[in-house]
Amino acid sequence: MDWLAENTPRIVVQLLSGLSVGVLLFLVSSGLSLIFGVSRVVNFAHGALYMVGAYLAYTIMRLAPGSGPYFWLALLGAPLGVALLGLLVEVLFLRRIYQAEHIYQLLLTIAIAFIIGDTVRTIWGAENRSVTRPDFLTATIPILGQAFPSYNLVILGLGPVVLGALWWVFYRTRWGMLVRAATWDRDMLGALGVNTPLVYSTVFVFGAWLAGLGGALVAPIQGLSPGMDASVIILAFVAVVIGGLGSFFGTLVSAVVIGEVQALAVLNPFLRQYDLVLPFALMALVLIVKPVGLFGRPE
Amino acid sequence: MQGALRKGLVGWRVPVVGVSVLAVVGWVLFLGASLVFPKLAPVFWVQFAIDLFVLTLFGLSLNLLMGYGGMVSFGHAAYYALGAYASALLVKKAGLPMPLAFVLGPFFAAGGAMVFGFFAVRLTAIYFAMLTLAFSQIVFAVVFKWTKFTGGDDGIQGVWPIKALAAPPVSDNYYYFSLGVVLVCALLLYLIVNSPFGYTLRAIRENPRRAEMAGVNVRLHQWVAFVIAGFFAGVAGSLFVFFQGSVNPDYAGVARSTDPLIVALLGGMHNYLGPAVGALLYKIIFFYVGRQFPFLWQLIVGIILLGVILLFPGGIMGAITERRWRRLPFGRRKGVPTVAPGEVETPTGSSVGGGNGGR
Repeated sequence: MDWLAENTPRIVVQLLSGLSVGVLLFLVSSGLSLIFGVSRVVNFAHGALYMVGAYLAYTIMRLAPGSGPYFWLALLGAPLGVALLGLLVEVLFLRRIYQAEHIYQLLLTIAIAFIIGDTVRTIWGAENRSVTRPDFLTATIPILGQAFPSYNLVILGLGPVVLGALWWVFYRTRWGMLVRAATWDRDMLGALGVNTPLVYSTVFVFGAWLAGLGGALVAPIQGLSPGMDASVIILAFVAVVIGGLGSFFGTLVSAVVIGEVQALAVLNPFLRQYDLVLPFALMALVLIVKPVGLFGRPE
Repeated sequence: MQGALRKGLVGWRVPVVGVSVLAVVGWVLFLGASLVFPKLAPVFWVQFAIDLFVLTLFGLSLNLLMGYGGMVSFGHAAYYALGAYASALLVKKAGLPMPLAFVLGPFFAAGGAMVFGFFAVRLTAIYFAMLTLAFSQIVFAVVFKWTKFTGGDDGIQGVWPIKALAAPPVSDNYYYFSLGVVLVCALLLYLIVNSPFGYTLRAIRENPRRAEMAGVNVRLHQWVAFVIAGFFAGVAGSLFVFFQGSVNPDYAGVARSTDPLIVALLGGMHNYLGPAVGALLYKIIFFYVGRQFPFLWQLIVGIILLGVILLFPGGIMGAITERRWRRLPFGRRKGVPTVAPGEVETPTGSSVGGGNGGR
């Protein structure tokens, strides 16, 4: 108990930072889950889209480091750029293989990830890149005597906003309704006269936009390097699989859980050593106990 | 009678063993060429060939799961690494002689595949791929972090074969050794995929539910296939560790897991020798293009993959055995499989568009 009382401030701060990691992870993995739910394609290129978002935001923010307006411009422009790239990928390649076996879909998205990865390295170089936070978000805020970066607080605040917006889009717009219907039974949706290819395309573009937003948000707090897509895509997969492929709510829960597990593991010297494995161990455990993830439904 | 005439000489099979004349001639030529190869080629190409043999076996072992079982493993490198690390540790920590360590290593890989596979085969398609990926990441993290035992990031150095295999000229003996090992393993895998077990596996790939209704224990067959594939991936890993003289966590990395996938796709996964042809092409492209532009290697692989998936989903072997060639006088005729007797041939058109696919 003494240990707990002594470490409460640290634990609280870790919980908060874990939550902000969870929000970022949710942005990436919700797009992944959405795309899978509708088109049944597991998009390995999602991490690459996220990386492009981060680099685009970096480029825009570098125009005027520390400037507030440019920060907002980056948050607006980078995801849009990624959405455009997503449109290109969907129209040129992905829509040709919706009917193919899983193996072809997986390998096609891997191929796209490879191509985007090397292109990013060619454009921005192999070295680490970083950009300062906007001036109004550089301060730290004391929480129980511990310094907590205000930028992460903004991310935390953004979580519910994004979640609310997504809920509104999916449950209060016609497009959202079509997406939910496509997740449930896409053949039936097509039989009812809905333009399903258009639904597929827009869903992919929207998922890409979400990945770009996640990348843009992470640009000022993380060094950027061409390998950043691999680590993100694997974590996002873990989140989506734990939550249950195609389940929005499940993805939210598991993204937050993964963020917290990783943040809390830092407090324990043994677990800290194995922080890389923890999400996988968690995923293996969930899949063994519940083969379709926490909130997934059998195909 | 007319059917028999139509078969012609090429399709004619030696009655007792049932092998086509073309295949026999091809194999004799291949064996002869590969026996004299180290005597004629420079050292670099001999090592290139050893590398190629290992990748071929690795690709063939994965294709037992993927092409025949319909199970897409994204973490096949786990068993490759288990075989490699087990052999290296048996030599370095247990002090076993190299031949014994080489033989025992793959059994550790099979053991790992037995544990992981037990859980993995309970899952379908995407979940199966993700769980195998997770297991390979766990293997990676363990060998990466367990510095005291596995050497961590640096891995284990100085793992060399016995003198007879390592004797100069540099790698000739190891070349023959790996050629022999890979040929024996490839033959065993060939016998397995053409055994009743192999046919049951194909039935499961085509329609697991129907196979189950017919009284097949689907999970048991998939589990056994997983362990066999793990064992032969372990052989490839052991073979490679004594060739390189060292092992490091990259052996279990994601890139190592995508290698056999790419190789099988390139060559054609619905053909037994597809992965072998794919491995050859992959290594040649790497040698002529990848080495010159190391930073664009993934871009090049990506573009090739896109081309194969969108234009030739059957891979090279699929493209060769495609319908339009069959009209030629020396091509294969309808109902006379020349590559793999009894192979379920999947024409280019229908291998994509198979609806719900694999499992």
